[in-house]
Amino acid sequence: MSEPHVAAVGTSPFGHTDLTGRDLFGAAVVEAFEGLPDPADVVEAVYVGNQSESYERQIMYGTLLAEWAGLRHVPAERVEGCAAAGAMALRHAVEDVRSGRRDAVLACGVEKMTAGGTAGATTALSAAFDRALEGRSGVTAPSQYALLAKRYLHDTEATERDLARIAVKNHANAVANPRAQFRREVDVETVLDSAYVAPPLKLFDCAPITDGAAAVLVTSEDVAATLPGDAVRVAGVGAGTNNIAVAERNLAVVEGAREVTTRAYEAAGVSPADVDVAEVHDAFTVSEALLAEAAGLAPRGRGYESALPPDERAEGWTATRLSTSGGLKARGHPIGATGLAQAVEVYEQLTGTATPDRQVDGATTGLLINEGGVADAVTVAHVLIHD
Amino acid sequence: MTDDTSPPTAPRTAADVTADSPFTLPGFFAALADGDLLAAVCRDCGAHLIPPRPACYACGGRTLRAESQPLTGDVITYTEVRTPPPALEARAPYTVAIVELDSGARLTGRLTVPHADAAIGMRVRLTTRPPDDDELAMALDNERDWPIHEFDPIAADD
Ligand SMILES: [Zn+2]
Repeated sequence: MSEPHVAAVGTSPFGHTDLTGRDLFGAAVVEAFEGLPDPADVVEAVYVGNQSESYERQIMYGTLLAEWAGLRHVPAERVEGCAAAGAMALRHAVEDVRSGRRDAVLACGVEKMTAGGTAGATTALSAAFDRALEGRSGVTAPSQYALLAKRYLHDTEATERDLARIAVKNHANAVANPRAQFRREVDVETVLDSAYVAPPLKLFDCAPITDGAAAVLVTSEDVAATLPGDAVRVAGVGAGTNNIAVAERNLAVVEGAREVTTRAYEAAGVSPADVDVAEVHDAFTVSEALLAEAAGLAPRGRGYESALPPDERAEGWTATRLSTSGGLKARGHPIGATGLAQAVEVYEQLTGTATPDRQVDGATTGLLINEGGVADAVTVAHVLIHD
Repeated sequence: MTDDTSPPTAPRTAADVTADSPFTLPGFFAALADGDLLAAVCRDCGAHLIPPRPACYACGGRTLRAESQPLTGDVITYTEVRTPPPALEARAPYTVAIVELDSGARLTGRLTVPHADAAIGMRVRLTTRPPDDDELAMALDNERDWPIHEFDPIAADD
């Protein structure tokens, strides 16, 4: 047994680029290994989070990216869990190190979403539904989340304006993040005036289509001590599934995410109040509200207040700063890379290496929540601590 | 098809997993095409699962029976698809909903009224029809005979 550490991180630019998936990975891994020994001298295995081969008609991403990192004969594989694929890759790396089986593993994620245009992305993302009844009905990712959002607005006091504020907050956070896809502020009226994609969700309630890659080197404590730079302890992990069909779940509570974050807290020996920074999976604005509640950061039914100043929120909110990166909404959402992009943000926050305008002073405990499929069809949560 | 006295039980041997079993999708959709909506009802915890499956996700039990479901229920949430899958481009916008049937079983499907006319709590009835050309365009080869299900509004006292 060896406590896993995040020893180095890197990302590609996020957005719409001419680079292919392997190029994006190349950019991420070059940044992660800057000033470190070559990957071939350190890395013992590779896990690649990647949602769909339909974007680039490329599988065998394990082999391809190991090769691009200069690695031969290492075990390397793609892991798939829709938008949770990145955190699944991270979890595999963490568990490999925790078990003592390996001392250094590269977790990475890649998605080249713009290759097939909007139609290609719609089709690729719809493959995450239960095909028999949901998929054949013509629902799409935004409309699936809209089904949750409609019910959330029905069951709570939240309004479309409250959801819009979440987008505004995450755009404001992204301004200070050099890695973000959208480094520009938007106001509530802009969000509310944007076209409905699936009511009550509008264009600005939705994360964008993003090309991007992220790489995270996970090592044992001993290996981390030999490398330059600061390392962050992976103190707790939780992973689990819920029904694939949204209809069969509790529509008001993302139960799977609650179960999984509880496990991660227990493994790390922390409570929600200990969490200084959290990257939550705001694929749609309503997701941030639901996840704030599921993670115990907000009281039940009040997660929609995440964009309000702390003194204006309901009693029971923690002081946690949510999605300082700009979140999926504004940092960008390159599906298979998203969970690792969350890890990059929290690593930088906990090591004090975030840009000054977004650095949370004294942050020592961070939470990552990455979900795949519609809401919590699969959720992976990590708790990171900088001692 | 089933009757109420001896509903089919979930497969207990590999030989039971056949295309005419209601616990497989071909069997489920063949019954649905005849207007018979089947759920797997768990004898251990009472959960109603559509489509039927070999084990109960709620309790892990495997004592499940295929039972015909009421076709009426309530809309519990809904929205409008404005950016559809490419094959359904000409059909958009259309309304989709999650419906809780009077048995407690739930499923997602299209609602045959404009979004502006939908509401949470609306009473609806499930209907089926063969796929149209655009729906066939997004069907896999093995799905071409599967019906499309939709929800029609009905009067509250129906
Ligand atoms: Zn049961």
